[in-house]
Amino acid sequence: MDRRTFLAYNAAVAVPLSGAGLASFASAASAATGGMPIDFKSNLPAVGSFPKKWICGSPSCMDNIDPPVQVHWYNPHTAILRQNKAYSYEAPFAPLYFGNDRVLLLDEGFVQLRSDWDLRAVVDQCIDEWCSRNGRDPASLELLVAFSHLHADHYAAVNQFADRPDTRYMGLTHDEMVGFWGMTNFPEERVTLDLGGREILIWGSPGHVVSEFAYYDSYTQILYTGDMFYRGRCYISFWEPWFDSMKRLIDFCDTHPVTHVMGCHVEISNAGEDYAYGMTWQPDEAPVEMTVQQLREAFEYAKMITEPGIYFTGTVFLCNQTRGTTTIDTNPYRYS
Amino acid sequence: MPQSPTYNPVLSGNPQSATARSYPNGNPTLGYNPAGARNTDSAVPLHRKEAVIHDYASDGPAPGNLAFRWTYGSNVAAKNRDPRVQVVQYNEDTFVLRQNVCVHWEAPFTYLLFGNEGALLIDSGATADAELYPLRKTVDAIITRWGQARGRNAVPLTVALTSGEDVAQNQGLVQFAGRPDTTIVPRPLGAMKGFYGLAANWPAGLGRIDLGDRAIEVLPTPGTHRDGVSFYDPYCDFLFTGDLLFPGKINISHDGDFVASLERLKAFAATKPVKWILGGHIEMMFVPGKYYARFATYKPYERVLEMEPSLINEALQYGREVQGKDMMLIRPDFALFNGVSPDARTQVWPEGVPNINAPRPF
Repeated sequence: MDRRTFLAYNAAVAVPLSGAGLASFASAASAATGGMPIDFKSNLPAVGSFPKKWICGSPSCMDNIDPPVQVHWYNPHTAILRQNKAYSYEAPFAPLYFGNDRVLLLDEGFVQLRSDWDLRAVVDQCIDEWCSRNGRDPASLELLVAFSHLHADHYAAVNQFADRPDTRYMGLTHDEMVGFWGMTNFPEERVTLDLGGREILIWGSPGHVVSEFAYYDSYTQILYTGDMFYRGRCYISFWEPWFDSMKRLIDFCDTHPVTHVMGCHVEISNAGEDYAYGMTWQPDEAPVEMTVQQLREAFEYAKMITEPGIYFTGTVFLCNQTRGTTTIDTNPYRYS
Repeated sequence: MPQSPTYNPVLSGNPQSATARSYPNGNPTLGYNPAGARNTDSAVPLHRKEAVIHDYASDGPAPGNLAFRWTYGSNVAAKNRDPRVQVVQYNEDTFVLRQNVCVHWEAPFTYLLFGNEGALLIDSGATADAELYPLRKTVDAIITRWGQARGRNAVPLTVALTSGEDVAQNQGLVQFAGRPDTTIVPRPLGAMKGFYGLAANWPAGLGRIDLGDRAIEVLPTPGTHRDGVSFYDPYCDFLFTGDLLFPGKINISHDGDFVASLERLKAFAATKPVKWILGGHIEMMFVPGKYYARFATYKPYERVLEMEPSLINEALQYGREVQGKDMMLIRPDFALFNGVSPDARTQVWPEGVPNINAPRPF
């Protein structure tokens, strides 16, 4: 990519960000705040909405003309980003939470370089938009880049932020991740991250991998469960730690209001069919958000599981220690 | 200092693989005027009075070269700008076409063979939409150019599939519907058997598609597909085996048929010269025993397409080993999946095979 196309490219990705729906946000929010601190602690949960349908790939990848990152504003202070399936089949979701002093980006996508997939420009665009709506200077906000867990589809783009001012990002070891959140007693310890009036509760959630966190946003009351619980194939590498992490999530839901449970991927259709690992076209994709009830049902189901195997809870597939041997789909041409 | 009288190819370049040219600068011991020269029609005559009658008789395989690397997709598939259909001429009468992996992950190969009385297209790709995958347009253009070179206005085309049910190979068929002077081998198993005259002796018999001095033989080879067939070209000495045997993850759909088909293929190859086996896909990497995941759209370390005929024996040996068992088995040039998920994995690594991990793509 030469300089000319690079500049044009940034402008091009900006187009999908300024959807018609944001015009109303802009006037309402500016009028409400006028550069004054935003109150993230009253009238909770802050209302918001998920899209009816996310952009979900195309039959031919090279003919995909959707934006590289889909940006959905859940509410004026919360964006949810999703990687385009034709840029990586992993197509993870990435929440972007705004506070009065800081912005938190959780997760990224499965592409390293800005020349291939410019996540940083999209994040900067979101921050610029939020600042212009709220009468702020983007330079006054610190950006925190963190991820749910230590897998490359969640951290691949991290070095795009290496030369961004006022930015801190998580290192790529368990030690650095736990240290980033100042934890000394992972996974039980629950820390509070203050974004400036907006609090994010963070605790350990191992099971899919060792190094995973759960993130609860006290403003939208969305519980972000990473890859340990999402609408698809929950690859459980370590059963006991995963089960304990589920118990921690349930205990949290017993004591805190939760509007939505949200994972990092969607790999299942509305009809409950598996979209096999690696697919780049998921035309009837299920929603990313789940209810607390669905989480509870999955936990009840998990209590009955005693053996490695693949189990469908009605919401998600629990792939208990099967990733190294098998997965769900079968050879469609088998005959006898 | 006296030079060694013996030509040493190693001093002039290293062979790249078992099937690549070992003599990058030519092998002088073969002489300057090989018999294979007669298999190319001279471009010297200015105006030909009548159609060229090509000489499809050859001593050994007809000369030809797969001289180019296959396109292999992009890290970001949406940004891929490679041709949708890659065309590689093997020789004047034999073309290999490949679907861009960023149009469809199966990236199937399609083969176009010419004879004095017609052409044969083996397989048709994984995408029906001609805008996304212009197979028909590409084939038409190649046939037109070939016809001009040979002084033929009419080149009847037969379109045949290595499996009528395989959606990685039958989707492009609709693009040929209604094409003039075209015969499409019917897809339903019964009708297909009838077309090849195999209704009474499937799978033991042999069918035939005569292209005019180039008679392609049709071998029933069910096992990965119930309607699987392979094609033998006596001009290039190629076996086109589709999904039955290719450098990739071979999903066995009926292990008894699979082994029996390989046995017939072995017996057939014992009676005919076979230079290479050409399958329908590549999924292996060039490091032994490693393959790309399904749906991958970036395959920079892909193995070459062509397989040595000795691989029939190896496939047969290990096909027997997995017969009756739900298991997968890795070999250097292919992997067998019998009764397990096409995405199955195994901790078992074949003995004596170096275990090399290719670098991560990014």
